[in-house]
Amino acid sequence: MSKSSTEPAIKIDGVSRHYLGGTFTAVDDVSLELDEGQVTAFVGPSGCGKTTVMRMVAGLEAPNSGEIRVYGNVVDAPGPERGMIFQAYTSFPWLTALQNVEYGMKILGVPSAERREKAERLLEEVHLTPAANKYPSELSGGMKQRVAIARTLAQNPRVLLMDEPFGALDAQVRWEMQEMMIELFEVEKKTVILVTHDIQESIYLADRIVFYTRSPGRIKQDIVLDFKKGQRFPKKEDLLLQPGYIDAERQMFAWMREEIQQVEAA
Amino acid sequence: MSELAESGSPEKEAEATPKRPKRKQVFRLLSPVSGREGMVLGVLGAVVFFAVWEIGHHLTPADSQRFLPSPFQVISTMTTLIMEKNFLSDVGISAFRIFGSFFVACVVAIPLGILMGCFSRARALLNPVISGARYLPAASFVPLLLVWFGPTDTQKMALLFLGVIFFLVALILDNTEAVQKELIEAALTMGASRREIIIGVVGRAASPAIVDSMRNMIAVGYTYLVIAEIVAASDGIGAVMMRAGRFLKVDVIMSGILAIGVLGVLTDILFRVAAYYLFPWNRKRQG
Repeated sequence: MSKSSTEPAIKIDGVSRHYLGGTFTAVDDVSLELDEGQVTAFVGPSGCGKTTVMRMVAGLEAPNSGEIRVYGNVVDAPGPERGMIFQAYTSFPWLTALQNVEYGMKILGVPSAERREKAERLLEEVHLTPAANKYPSELSGGMKQRVAIARTLAQNPRVLLMDEPFGALDAQVRWEMQEMMIELFEVEKKTVILVTHDIQESIYLADRIVFYTRSPGRIKQDIVLDFKKGQRFPKKEDLLLQPGYIDAERQMFAWMREEIQQVEAA
Repeated sequence: MSELAESGSPEKEAEATPKRPKRKQVFRLLSPVSGREGMVLGVLGAVVFFAVWEIGHHLTPADSQRFLPSPFQVISTMTTLIMEKNFLSDVGISAFRIFGSFFVACVVAIPLGILMGCFSRARALLNPVISGARYLPAASFVPLLLVWFGPTDTQKMALLFLGVIFFLVALILDNTEAVQKELIEAALTMGASRREIIIGVVGRAASPAIVDSMRNMIAVGYTYLVIAEIVAASDGIGAVMMRAGRFLKVDVIMSGILAIGVLGVLTDILFRVAAYYLFPWNRKRQG
């Protein structure tokens, strides 16, 4: 539980991460505060450390210096209150879609009838009810990601971490999944971090965008997408009509170009 | 020929037939084989093998034909051995030694391989010794095992055990390390315990590959059977063959080889069928 109403959901405080015995700095002194229920996209060129920051929030990697707090608690290991969705397909191949969604709840000791009911409801939310009893090997990439999303929501996390979740999908499926996420954000009300290199995706899904510079990973820009006026658009094309959308997209392309050119100059 | 093979839809190919008869390319890359055709080809391979053997027998000069008996003679000798010499009990003893020793090897190798795959410290500690031991010929342990255990079943099974254990651990280690890292990370973020991850995720994900490794390694176990039963043995397929060798009874030796072959094929089928039913989620989908 949050200690007070003003406490941010996620507080990243002066976090750095080095690799190769300290010779390579992936993340350099990043500080951020994310509010409850906010969807924040981490955007930046490849190798900018955005995924590393998210993995440290998940507890899958430890910072070399600095500290991360989630709802007041220092992160020192992964935990079910921070659910993560990976770019790679992580549905367990030996379980059916339904059993996959039940898996996390089973670990947490949820009684079997309750588990089943919740898993069925979540499969419905991700539009996967007809495939409930199929194994992942029988599902398409998009369907596997739906299983992963339902499975992560089943553990009832307060924070949802999404690491390029649609990066491996083709354009049409990615678009369907993005619209589905908008529906889910409305229903599930999670604090979300979305790592992506898809500029349009970040503007469509996020309330706020944190743009990273490349090696060492630092925060270049941190903007709230005011032009959306707090709305989320069930249809992606409605976003494109919003005054301010084009400016936001253009701005981000400019930042991306700056980063790429700096690397080429170096 | 390649234009024909790739020329779009089947209807188009059919239309093209009047002009140029369609030639089916037998060895086309990546082309699948139907279950029925596969079976026919398998039987064909066996028939060719026995035919070559039979022809070889007839081409051998008459006075030395007993050194290369025909397949039919071997089968009739085997029937006699089974009916009159209680050969099946020797086969049973050999099977017991193989399966018994292999079972013990699996009980040791599966946990060890999985632990080494999960914990780099366990791997660093054990892997140099285990991968080095793979280069020791198992046959070189025969004198040592005879001193330790005498001419017993234990001695023979210990040899079969030593013949497979190091390879089995190394293979299972590989199978474990091949488990996709994200499956473990996903389980961690769901709050799974270390125990649950090792047994329920890594072990489970690696299990089809492990059963495959077992299937391959029990075949290696069979190759040590005769070595194990040649020295200081009075029963088992290898002992029967060794005795027959002293009297130049080639048909009996060949019956022994054939019996090992049949036992091996049955073992292989057993493993494949078991894997099919144990891992319904891992069945290859056929187009």
